[in-house]
Amino acid sequence: MTIPKKIDLHMHSTVSDGSNTPAELLDCVRQSGLELFALTDHDACKGSLQMIELLEEGDPGFITGVEFSCRDAEGQYHILGYGYDPASAPIREVIDNGHRVRMEKVQARLAFLRDRFGFDFPREELKKLLSLDNPGKPHIGNLMVKYGYARDKNQAIKEFIDQLHLKDQYLSPEEAIRGILASGGIPVLAHPVYGSGDQLILGEEMDQRLRRLMGFGLQGVEAYYSGFTRKLRTMMLEMAQRYDLYVTAGSDYHGTNKLIPLGDTGLEDATQGPEGLQRFLREVHLAK
Amino acid sequence: MTIELKGRIDSNNASRVEEQIRGELAGFSGGELTLDAAELAYISSAGLRVLLRLRKQYADMRIVNVNSEVYEILDMTGFTEMMPVEKAYRVVNVEGCEEIGKGANGTIYRIDQDNVVKVYNNADALADIQHEREVAKLALILGIPTAISYDVVKVGESYGSVFELLNARSFSKILSTEPEKLDWCVKEYVDMLKRIHGTVVPKGKLPDMKETALKWAGFLQDYLPEDAGKKLLRLIEEVPHDDHMIHGDYHTKNLELQNDEVLLIDMDTLAVGHPIFELGSIYNSFQGFSEYDHSVIQHFQGLSFETGRLFWRRSLSSYLGTTNEKKLQEVEDKARIIGYTRMIRRSIRRKGLETEAGRAEIQLWKDELLELLEKTDTLLFTRNELQVEAVDDNLPTVLGFIEQHLEAADCPLKAQMQISVAAEEIFINIAHYAYKPETGKVIVRVEVEEEPVQVTITFVDNGMPFDPLAMEEPDVSLPAEAREIGGLGVFLARKAMDDVSYQYKDGQNILTLKKNL
Repeated sequence: MTIPKKIDLHMHSTVSDGSNTPAELLDCVRQSGLELFALTDHDACKGSLQMIELLEEGDPGFITGVEFSCRDAEGQYHILGYGYDPASAPIREVIDNGHRVRMEKVQARLAFLRDRFGFDFPREELKKLLSLDNPGKPHIGNLMVKYGYARDKNQAIKEFIDQLHLKDQYLSPEEAIRGILASGGIPVLAHPVYGSGDQLILGEEMDQRLRRLMGFGLQGVEAYYSGFTRKLRTMMLEMAQRYDLYVTAGSDYHGTNKLIPLGDTGLEDATQGPEGLQRFLREVHLAK
Repeated sequence: MTIELKGRIDSNNASRVEEQIRGELAGFSGGELTLDAAELAYISSAGLRVLLRLRKQYADMRIVNVNSEVYEILDMTGFTEMMPVEKAYRVVNVEGCEEIGKGANGTIYRIDQDNVVKVYNNADALADIQHEREVAKLALILGIPTAISYDVVKVGESYGSVFELLNARSFSKILSTEPEKLDWCVKEYVDMLKRIHGTVVPKGKLPDMKETALKWAGFLQDYLPEDAGKKLLRLIEEVPHDDHMIHGDYHTKNLELQNDEVLLIDMDTLAVGHPIFELGSIYNSFQGFSEYDHSVIQHFQGLSFETGRLFWRRSLSSYLGTTNEKKLQEVEDKARIIGYTRMIRRSIRRKGLETEAGRAEIQLWKDELLELLEKTDTLLFTRNELQVEAVDDNLPTVLGFIEQHLEAADCPLKAQMQISVAAEEIFINIAHYAYKPETGKVIVRVEVEEEPVQVTITFVDNGMPFDPLAMEEPDVSLPAEAREIGGLGVFLARKAMDDVSYQYKDGQNILTLKKNL
C-alpha cells in the first residue's frame, strides 16, 4: 500500500448532524476521488461501524473515526479519535457515558420546560426525540417552534432552554483522550484554532492548550482544515512540528447541512504533506 | 456586485447569513464581489468560515468598510492576506474648523489642537491620498522635513488624510500677523527651498516636471501664434533633465512652523526638474494668479498683493544669491514664461474663456507671455550662490562655479586665473580650519557689476570666528617648513585682489574678495 494522495479525515453522517446516511456518504466519497477517508460523527462510533459493513472491494481506504465534544474548566474542545477498535470496551464506555449524560440532560430540560413554562409535547414527539442518537438543545428548540412555544430555534434556546443551567455534565477531554488511546486509537485535536467551533485560539493560548492536552495523551492536530487560512494552517503546522505531533487533514463535511465541499481540507497532495502527516498515515492506514 | 454584512456573524446565525448571501448571489455570474462591512459589528470564527468559503468560490472578492475590531480579527487569522480588506474610514466634520492651508488638490483644516486634515477636492481621492503618502514618505527619507498622514478619514462626500501638526502656524499666518518677521520668513523659506532643490531623487520615483510643462505648452499651441507656440516648446525642451526635487506648489501656506521646526506640507505635487519650473509656480502663487485681480492672493494666502510682491522678490534675491536688479528681473521673466503657460492652460480648462473676466485675465497673461517669448532665448539661469560642504573634494565644483560666472561676464583670462588662485586659497583655508575637527557648509557668492566692471566673491561659513586678515603677513623669506600654515594663502589672495575684507556677523565668517577688471 502506498500513501494516498487525496484524503479527508473529518466528515459527518446522519448518525450525528450530517445530511447523508453512511451509505449515501460512501457514494459521495466514491465519486469524489478521495483515496482515504474517515467518518467522524459526534460522540458516536455507530457510523464508523456501519461504514465498515458497507465498504466493498476497491473502495477508498477507510479509518474508523469519532469526534468527541469535550469541555473542562479551561475551555471547550473537539477531540477526534482515529483507528480505534470499535469493538473495544474503553471507547464504547466513553460513548455510552456521553450518550447517557446527553439523554439525562434532555430529560432534565424537558422536565424544566414543562414545570417552569408549562410547555408540553405529544408523547409521540418525545419518543421520537429520545430515540435520536444524540438529541440536544437544537432538537428541543425545533420542537418548541413546531408547537408554537417560540418564534425560532435561537429564541427557544436563549429565552427558555438556557434558563436551566446544567453544569459539569460534559465529557472531559481527558476522558475522551484516554478512552481513544485505550482502544488503540489516536487522539487528535480538531480544528484547533476554532476550539469547539466558534472560538479563536491563537499564539500563546494555543500553545498552552496543546501542552495541557498532550499531558492527557493528545497525539495530533488537524492542521489542514477547510476553515483555515494559510496563516492559521502554517501556525498549526509549526506547533505540530515543535511538539512532534501527528498532522491530519479534514473538511468537516456535513452534507447539505453545511456548505463545506467534501475533500476541502487545504491539503492538495498528502504524499507531499509534512512529516507528521506521513507518520500518521503510516500508523493508522498502512500498518493495517 | 456588493453585499452588505450587518450586525454580528457568529455560530448562532452564520449559516443563516451564508444562505442569505448565497441567495443574493444567485444569478451572479462572476466578476468583482464586494462585501460591505460598514454595519458589521463583530465576526466570530463561524463567520470567518463563511467568508473563507465565499472567497474560495469568488476569487475577486474584497471586503470594504471594515471596523477596527473586525479588521484585527481578519488580520490575526490571515484573511487580510487572502483577499483585499479595506478599513472603514472615520468620519470627520470640518464645519467651522479653521482653514490653515489650501493647495491645488485640497484644503487643510485644523480639527483639534494636535491634528489637521487635508480634504481632497475630488470625491474619489483614495488613490491621490495614497500617492501623497508615498511621496511624503519618500521626501522624509531623503531628508525633507514633512508631516506624514497617519489616518484616512471620510469628510462629507470626499476623503481626507489626517496629520499631526502641533502648535503649528503657516508662514502666511506669520507674515500676515507679524510683518516684522518678513526677513526671517524669507530666510527660512529660501533655506527650505534650497534644501529641496539640493535633494537628488532616485530615478523613476517622482514625475518629471519638464514633461508636465511640455504638456502645458502643447495645450497652448492652439491659443498662441504659431511662432510663439513653437518657441515656447523649444525653450522648455532645451531645459536639461534634472533629477533634483521640486515641490511644485511652494507657497507660504504650505510651510508650517511647528514649535521651532519648519515643516513642509501638501506634498502631492512633488516632482523632479530644473528649478525654473519651481520658480514659475512660486511666481504664480505670489503674483501671477493675482495680476488681474489683486484680491486673489488675499483669498488664497491671506497676504496683500504688495506683501506678496515683496516676499517673492526678496526670496528670489536670496535664492539666487544676488541683489542685482537686472539679474533678478531676468530670472523673474523666465519664471513668468512658465507661470503664464501654466495659468493660461489652467484657466482655459476651467472654462475661463466663457466669462468676460476670464477672457480678460487670459488675454492679460497671454500678452505678457508673448512679450516675454519675444525677448527670451533660454529658460536657464545660474544662481550667484553655491552652497557646498567645505571639503577639499569640492574645490573643482567651487572653482567651476566661479569660472562660469566670470566667463559669462567676458572676464579676461589673466584676471580669471588670479581670481581662481585667490578663491582656491580661501576655500581650502575654510575646508581645513573653519569647522575643525568637523566639517560644515560654505556659501560661495559671485557678483559681477558692469559699470565699472567689478567681480565680488564672497565666502560665508558658520565655523569658529576667525579673521585671516588679522594674521601677520608671512615672512616669505623663511624656508617653507618654518612658515605658519595658512598664512601664505591669504597673502596670495590679498596680492591678486583689489580688495579683501572680513566681517563676523550673525555667527558667520564673511570674507569678500573684489577684483576690478
